Amino acid sequence: MTASVALGRRRSSERAPRGRRGRVETLSGWAFVTPATVIIGLFGAAPIIWSLVLSFTNDNGLSSTSAFIGVRNYKTLIHDPAVSQAMGHTLVYTALFVPGTMLVGLFLAVAMNRKIRFMWFYRTAAYATMAISTISEALVFIWLFDPSFGIVNYVFSLVGLPQQQFLNSPSIEALLVIVVMTIWGWSGFAVVIYLAALQGIPQDLVEAAAIDGAGRWETFRRITLPLLSPASLFLAVWLTINALQLFDEVYLSTRGGPLGATTVLVFYLWEQAFQNFNFGYASAVAYLLFLVILVVTAIQFRVGRRFTYYRS
Amino acid sequence: MGTYRCWFGAPSARLRRSHFGAPPVRSVLGAPPARSVLGAPPARRVLCALAVIATSALAACGSGSGATSGGGKSIQIWEGYTGAEGKAFTHLVAEYQATHPGVKVSSLFVNNDYTLQKVQTAVAGGNPPDIAYLYGSWAPNVAKLSGVVTLTNVVKRPGVNWNDFWVGERDVATVNGRVIGVPALVDNLAVVYNKALFAKAHLPLPGPNWTWPQFVADARKLTDPAIKQFGTAYVTPGSEDTVWHWEALLWEAGGTLLNSSNTKAAFDSKAGLASLNTLRTMSVTDHSMYLDPTDSAYANLFNSGKIGMLVTGPWDLSGFPNVHYGVQIMPSFPGTNGGHQTISGPDNWVVFNNGASRVKTAEDFILWLTAPAQVKYFSLKTGDLPIRQSAATTSFDAQMDAALPEVSTFISNLGNVRQARPQIATYPQISQAIGTMVVSVLLGKSQPAAALAAAAAKVNQILAGSG
Repeated sequence: MTASVALGRRRSSERAPRGRRGRVETLSGWAFVTPATVIIGLFGAAPIIWSLVLSFTNDNGLSSTSAFIGVRNYKTLIHDPAVSQAMGHTLVYTALFVPGTMLVGLFLAVAMNRKIRFMWFYRTAAYATMAISTISEALVFIWLFDPSFGIVNYVFSLVGLPQQQFLNSPSIEALLVIVVMTIWGWSGFAVVIYLAALQGIPQDLVEAAAIDGAGRWETFRRITLPLLSPASLFLAVWLTINALQLFDEVYLSTRGGPLGATTVLVFYLWEQAFQNFNFGYASAVAYLLFLVILVVTAIQFRVGRRFTYYRS
Repeated sequence: MGTYRCWFGAPSARLRRSHFGAPPVRSVLGAPPARSVLGAPPARRVLCALAVIATSALAACGSGSGATSGGGKSIQIWEGYTGAEGKAFTHLVAEYQATHPGVKVSSLFVNNDYTLQKVQTAVAGGNPPDIAYLYGSWAPNVAKLSGVVTLTNVVKRPGVNWNDFWVGERDVATVNGRVIGVPALVDNLAVVYNKALFAKAHLPLPGPNWTWPQFVADARKLTDPAIKQFGTAYVTPGSEDTVWHWEALLWEAGGTLLNSSNTKAAFDSKAGLASLNTLRTMSVTDHSMYLDPTDSAYANLFNSGKIGMLVTGPWDLSGFPNVHYGVQIMPSFPGTNGGHQTISGPDNWVVFNNGASRVKTAEDFILWLTAPAQVKYFSLKTGDLPIRQSAATTSFDAQMDAALPEVSTFISNLGNVRQARPQIATYPQISQAIGTMVVSVLLGKSQPAAALAAAAAKVNQILAGSG
């Protein structure tokens, strides 16, 4: 009798870690993660899933009745010349913006990675571009590149270059202005990443290269650049994702114009959703963009890994 | 004033610049601590934590329904007034509450550009505002929203005097014969010109009988490339702002946008050609027109004395303190029956259904707010054009001019609003096709005839439901 009770007790106390106490720990664990889970679920996951659902409907965001129309939005999208045009602009923009920002960032970071006076000032100035709001940035660039009153055309006239239409040009020129604008805005970010990576390069490697007779350019190419490759991969992926989602600068400067010359995917999506009230179609465009980002990023990781050197 | 009107969109944008989060850090968390930090966690503490979470979640859900109290005498209104308009509106609300004991009108500021988006969400959530300020260009789409109260009989009530509202306003508040709103704001386009530049060019000031050929000639003479001075300007983002400027010209040339049943494009006509040719002469041939893709630079340039004439609305006047300007109605096209017309962009107060008693409170308030006395007060305090014809008396106009020089021309110009844009749900898409047409002509990318034909084909496609 006593033995069995004791046995029973022992058994129950043995079970305790997985039983009552375990449950309590599980519960407290849930209590800790619940707020974050709820918030992320509500404001992150739910809209993502909801827009996927929307992309299979003809929802217009207005009437409460929207019909399930299967993959019709996706079929329309494939044949929509405006989508392929916007896709083209997005890819051209990304192809110019990402390497451009990385090169400018690398150049500035290398130039700032030394001990000279007022370095704190230069570094702050470089990063300040990140702190400036996109609105002010766009306003300043609109005036810099104004065809009649802008300082850029003025400088062009001084050095004998032909006057440009810039944001008024329906050719690629308007998109180029946006590339320049965004490179300016994002280079500070690239500088910070590269500066941090540069400071992580062991001095002994650089000295060893010097002893082996490597010049400055050789050292940079053979030592610095490979050691910066993880930072480069990160920047390439990060900037690409942001570039594919370009919206603010377009919205603020050209509204996708002139004649659609700067209409990128996100801007087209916004137009469809909030001007034409085609929420279903806009959601399909959003998922197309998601797919593009997914594929591009996957390729970058694949290819990038081959050229990336991690010190362990 | 602060009623900078931007169509279907906003100059203010959501900023995305906060994305420079940390680079993906490899497992900072590492292995989790083996034992609970709390030590032996009493079940009660866990329950407490869960209870707190549940309570706050419930509180968050419930916070939107505050206006339900007050037995239908408490209503919420969404408006986008700032500055002088905000002050005048707050004053009127206070006055209403003081004279109507028991009624509580709480107003919530919402940027006008986003109100429709927010109202859509609120309607979907079953908790719309009682009244919302919505752009007139949205009206056909607003009419589709569930919960929008039909005001057709309300505006027939004795004392409302519906016909006292300008015809352009009534047109935009009515969708397929159903009144879905009460006018909240009205404006129109006229020509604002720089008197000093006219004097310098030895040009007579524009008179009320002037014509478009005269406008074009004046613009040419006011242009001086050496000092970067332009005769006129045109906004070219290709948005509705681009489009409505042209629509006024089309009407004046005797044309219409669509046929009378709104089923086919009608602008590929002699009138369409005349209007586009006029613009093309200035932008392509004479280079007398400053093209502004940003929709904002032109005002600064006019205020800096760099532009001779602007076709614009009353909202811009307060932005021209540095120039001595005059206002004249739009020129006409000689040899057509269009005469002097203009286009108006009225906005609406829209009532949503939150139960019969709240609807009644909302209707009563909105009729009071748009009654003559309140309309006069609001216009005098803000410089906005009066939304009622009866307000525009000689002495009233003089008072308005004293505050904002020459604004009375815009008031009388409301009488030249004879047509409204087609009240159909596909108008935004049509607007895009026309925006492309106008911009391609202005930039010299297409000939007017070809551009008209292409746009008409596109519009017909949209109207046929396959756009």
